[in-house]
Amino acid sequence: MKSRLRHQLKALRCGAGMDRELDAEVRFHVEMETEKYVREGMEPDAARTRALRNFGAMATHKEEARDARGVGWLDALVADARYAVRTLRKNPGFALLAVVTLGLGIGANTAIFSVIDGVLLKPLPYANGERLILIQQAAPLANQPNFGVSIRELYDYREQLASFDGIVEFHQMSFDLLRRGEPDRVDVGVVSPNFFDVLGITPMLGRTFVETDDDEGADAVLVLGHAYWQTKFGGDRNIVGQVFEMNDRPHTVVGVLPSVPHYPNEVDVYMPTSACPFRAQAERLVNQNRRAFAALQVFGRLKSGSAPQTAATEVATVGERFKQSHADIYRPGIGFQARTANVLEQLTVGARPMLFILLGTTGLVLLIACANVANLTLARTLRRDRELAMRTALGAGRWRLVRQLLTESTVLAAAGGLFALLFAWSTIDMLTTFVGRFTARTHEIGIDAGVLGFTLFVSILTGLVFGTLPALSSRVDLNTALKAGGKSTGDDSRRRRMQSALITAQVAVSVVLLVGAGLLLLSFYRLQSVDAGFNGDRVTSAEVFGNFTKYPDAPSLRRLYVSILERLEGAPGVVSAAITNSVPLAGVQPGQTRLQIQGHTYNTPEERPTADVRVASTKYFGTLSIPIRRGRAFSELDHENAPPVAIINESMVRHFEGRNPVGMEIGFGAGPNLTWVTVVGVVADVKVFGLDREAVAQVYRPLRQSGGLAGRVLVRITGEPSSAASVIRGAVHAVDPDLPIENVRTLDELRERSIARPRVTAMLLTVFAALALLVTITGITGVIAQSVTHRTQEFGLRMALGATRQTVLRMVLGQGLLLVGIGLALGIAASLALSRVLQNYLYQTTPTDPVTFAAVACALVVAGLLACLGPAWRATTVDPMTALRAE
Amino acid sequence: MSTKSKLDLLQGTLDLLILKTLALGPMHGWGISQRIQRTSADVLRVNQGSLYPALHRLEATGWIAAAWGASENNRQAKFYRLTKTGLRQLRTETAQWELMATAVARVLNTETT
Repeated sequence: MKSRLRHQLKALRCGAGMDRELDAEVRFHVEMETEKYVREGMEPDAARTRALRNFGAMATHKEEARDARGVGWLDALVADARYAVRTLRKNPGFALLAVVTLGLGIGANTAIFSVIDGVLLKPLPYANGERLILIQQAAPLANQPNFGVSIRELYDYREQLASFDGIVEFHQMSFDLLRRGEPDRVDVGVVSPNFFDVLGITPMLGRTFVETDDDEGADAVLVLGHAYWQTKFGGDRNIVGQVFEMNDRPHTVVGVLPSVPHYPNEVDVYMPTSACPFRAQAERLVNQNRRAFAALQVFGRLKSGSAPQTAATEVATVGERFKQSHADIYRPGIGFQARTANVLEQLTVGARPMLFILLGTTGLVLLIACANVANLTLARTLRRDRELAMRTALGAGRWRLVRQLLTESTVLAAAGGLFALLFAWSTIDMLTTFVGRFTARTHEIGIDAGVLGFTLFVSILTGLVFGTLPALSSRVDLNTALKAGGKSTGDDSRRRRMQSALITAQVAVSVVLLVGAGLLLLSFYRLQSVDAGFNGDRVTSAEVFGNFTKYPDAPSLRRLYVSILERLEGAPGVVSAAITNSVPLAGVQPGQTRLQIQGHTYNTPEERPTADVRVASTKYFGTLSIPIRRGRAFSELDHENAPPVAIINESMVRHFEGRNPVGMEIGFGAGPNLTWVTVVGVVADVKVFGLDREAVAQVYRPLRQSGGLAGRVLVRITGEPSSAASVIRGAVHAVDPDLPIENVRTLDELRERSIARPRVTAMLLTVFAALALLVTITGITGVIAQSVTHRTQEFGLRMALGATRQTVLRMVLGQGLLLVGIGLALGIAASLALSRVLQNYLYQTTPTDPVTFAAVACALVVAGLLACLGPAWRATTVDPMTALRAE
Repeated sequence: MSTKSKLDLLQGTLDLLILKTLALGPMHGWGISQRIQRTSADVLRVNQGSLYPALHRLEATGWIAAAWGASENNRQAKFYRLTKTGLRQLRTETAQWELMATAVARVLNTETT
């Protein structure tokens, strides 16, 4: 046993040496045998021939002897691979075509897989990532899928949940950080002191928060996010201990986070809850108002040993208790419920279906690539029959030949895999941006060991898949093949049928991809042409938020914005300007304020209609060219001391049940805070919240009668939109040089951004479908061309017997179109079944849109005709005499 | 074609014959085939195609060992010799062969009445 092992090891180590030994041994044998015959009186030449014949098919014996060594398969693999590389180098055209086709197919899969791996498969990069559980509240009957957790509710959860060993809160604010006098508006995560412990993040510099940071009146402290620290402080390691002004208080930096993705949102800096003025103010109301500050995101870490299911039950039980003890708040009419969700799932839920659709798409592209290369290989085996027959004659077994062909496929696929990695590497940034529109979790996308493993696996699998068909068809009948001298054999027609089947399958899969891409394109086109109800040409918007410490109340904010507006209107080149909190298509969600309509009585608050309430300065409707349908626009007369007024949009009119709303009153608030405002006008609906969303009921209030929380500037200018930024900056800083100006964008830009998701989705699918179609067309051309070559004599004969060129042309085109037709029928059937998965991504387009299906069918017929045209033309140029003589 | 009937060897038989031949002393592949042919008075003829695989198989199992050396006409040849385990194997196989041959002979010698 031991010696056998040693023998194998030796054989492995010096396989080539052993081969040479075997050669020498065989040579010696033949020489001895020859000498023997010479001694017996034969001529040396005859003796040698006899000796050789005695030895038989040398190749077989060598192989058998090699197999006897026990590592034959490995030797053979290396030899096969070498042979394959040599053969492929002799056919650079075939090799290049195959490698590029496979590379694109595998590459597309690698790229999508790297995204899936980074977004869905990798665990959260926190020490406790898999034990994090989100606590969510919902009131579905009141149309509130996310019923934010309040401070009081958070405390109740902390007291009553036993299966967690840490429950923390998060809410996001924007504050002005003053460093060296320069204002910087930063995104702030306001968190519990044990927030980072629960996530399992340890600081890179300094410390994170401790319990005492959260005491009332404690010195305000900050922890910086890694990216913010890098970009704004150049990675200064002496940052800990530095003091910055924020909300009129000194804030000391106590630590810097390592480079990890943030959860739940990416922010610039973190502060403990006591340092957030709004949160601290609400804290004092906790005992009077159960729902004070109901804007927290709450999650906890599961105790080790607790099951997620137990936690879910516990959270639901606490929610039931809320309903029983506070029926006035969690009224039965709102369907209140408390539940848990897995953090990772929650983070990626938006991207999941799209990623799987893309993986399906690239999978189909790879299938087409496989089919195409299988076809190319089949075509080659047809030409290689004589070579294969020769090798069989030299003693190579059938299995040996199959193995050889499979090795060749695998070598091709491996080269394709390398090309694929290049492809994936060069497209990964683009894909990451794309996925960023569906999920925040894009930081861990990259080509790592897992992705490399996937590529290797797919490459080998691909090689086996496209190699198996041609290899199995290589059952070479020695005599026929050698005698036929390259002419057709029985195997040929079998292979041609196989080729036709492959082409049909390629066409069918292409149809599925084209239908998908076509639906998305049509839907995108419709979305793009939606009339949004406003004219944003040459209008630019910017965010200007008054620092609340300097502008603490409505009057001061209103004064600020009115002054900015005056400056803007006086600036050169400005046609019209407005202050609002309603910039169309800027990515905000509609608000839901409960209102009362004059003349209605409501039994419960749920019966009152809801509307999105917005602030608009006098010239808002003029600036955006929003038409006034009835009544009037706001005027300078609608000031602080004038009677309160409102303008509603057409969607709001239905709440007035057929009466003319102009002149009627709407009630805001309830109880002692109830105020009635008079409707003075009706404006057209505007698609504020998305081109694909129906307009919602909206109520506009004049800036000077509002709470002042407007924050967005709109200007229409005569010059280039790019000059708007400096115009806005000049006007704002003339009023207050400390005001940060953010997100300066034209309304056209905002509109583009709002449909970036469907645009990129449609684009990606179109690229894949186009790729598939291209590959399929080359496949059709190849197969038809081959068949024309094969039938040259037949065509010659037919023409000699009187067939016209048109007849021949029609024959060839007919053959091609038959393949396309069958594939098309199969593809359309498959598309009808499959296109439903795109339902959620389509706008005003049904998944079975007949126009798209018809267009795809036409496109394929045209493509098929084009693909056959070249070979068909060649068929008509056959010279009957030459063709017949060749027989 | 020679008039004499020649027998093709069964696989196991060839192994046994190789081992027996090598028990007489180290020998190269061609020599083994010649010796078997000669000692069997040309009745047994070794298919050279199966000889080398058999030699390599036996070498792999460790019953014989190989070394390069000079042949009788001063050429490099691969010489095989019997190892200790090979000798043991030879004894076992010889005993088995004799047992079987006797058994077969007994069956064949039964009177057919």
